[in-house]
Amino acid sequence: MKPIETRLARLARKGDQRAFAEIVDLYKDKLYHLAYRMMNNRQEAEDVVQESFLRVYKHLDRYDENQKFSTWIYRIATNLCIDRLRKRRPVYSLDAETDHEGLDGYAMLPSDERTPESEVILSETQRLIRDAIETLPVKYKSVMILRYLQDLSLQEISDVLDLPVTTIKTRVHRGREFMRKKLENKL
Amino acid sequence: MQKGMALNMECKAAIAYMHDYLDRELPREQTLELQKHLASCAECRTRLEALEKTDALMRTLASEKTPDDLTYRIMKSLPKSRNPRAWTTWVRRHPAMSAAAMFIVVMVSSFVAMWNQNQQLTVRGDLDHVVIQGHTVIVPAGQQVAGDLTVENGVAQVMGDVQGNLTVIDGNVTLASTAHIAGKVKTIDRAVDWAWYKVTSWFDTIAYGS
Repeated sequence: MKPIETRLARLARKGDQRAFAEIVDLYKDKLYHLAYRMMNNRQEAEDVVQESFLRVYKHLDRYDENQKFSTWIYRIATNLCIDRLRKRRPVYSLDAETDHEGLDGYAMLPSDERTPESEVILSETQRLIRDAIETLPVKYKSVMILRYLQDLSLQEISDVLDLPVTTIKTRVHRGREFMRKKLENKL
Repeated sequence: MQKGMALNMECKAAIAYMHDYLDRELPREQTLELQKHLASCAECRTRLEALEKTDALMRTLASEKTPDDLTYRIMKSLPKSRNPRAWTTWVRRHPAMSAAAMFIVVMVSSFVAMWNQNQQLTVRGDLDHVVIQGHTVIVPAGQQVAGDLTVENGVAQVMGDVQGNLTVIDGNVTLASTAHIAGKVKTIDRAVDWAWYKVTSWFDTIAYGS
């Protein structure tokens, strides 16, 4: 018995719109959560989610059924986010940050493009975590979001990003240290 | 753990273990080693606590509420139908067949195109010794045509000599009693024969360079 997504993907490939709508319902929340934390912007998150599903739809016949559907869809969405982030801002390395703590380039960038009324954050802790994630360099950010917000295993993240597991592990470790430094003094 | 203070080797190893531990990938033996180190190192205990807290906090991050009409907007943004492109799927799955089919299509269409455009009378060979009247190519009595003579879309009327082959494509031949043809007389009426003739003459060109 194939997983539900594989069966839906087959139906959608044959032109069944309702099957595709089911795929959208299964993944839209996960992708939106991922995209929102990556982009830190409601509108861009929506754009990324829409674009991701459009690509999934167009390339359904390229989906390799030996692979998990979630891996494939996460790869598409994550790559879209990474591309957009790379276009948006210059590249900073995490190492540069450790040398001049708190004085990395991100501190000087407008970190939040949300309008104040667009969402209500009840807890200060939630806001601190979000802000800390927002300051992570892109390559660590994507790994940390997939690990903690999407609850993917190191192996799954390695499949999504097409990088060796050892690289993912190193990024999780560094990302965690980065987050620790950001949060330690504030909580 | 104070900033700027160099970590000793033992603490460095311990920190690497901590991360593996948080990844749930630290083997039992190393976990015991880490435990031993923590018992004697307050800084590393603090460090592990902070890392654990970070880990737990990251997991508490609430999901954003997905906009209500997102599914609707996604479905509306899709192209109307996937079906017209079904053949591309077939092509992708049968590359050899597709290449063969493509080859046949190109061959046939180019032959057909050549066939159709040649509605005019064409004569190849020794033109000095023939007379052309409308659609009729005449080899008058007493004349000698050196080599092959080919007539396309016309009538060949031979009263003299042809020293090679006589080929008539999409036409016919009249041979007078005085006619003498050294080679073969060939009449080609259909596109298939004509195609075959083209192919063999092409091979002849390769083989003999004529």
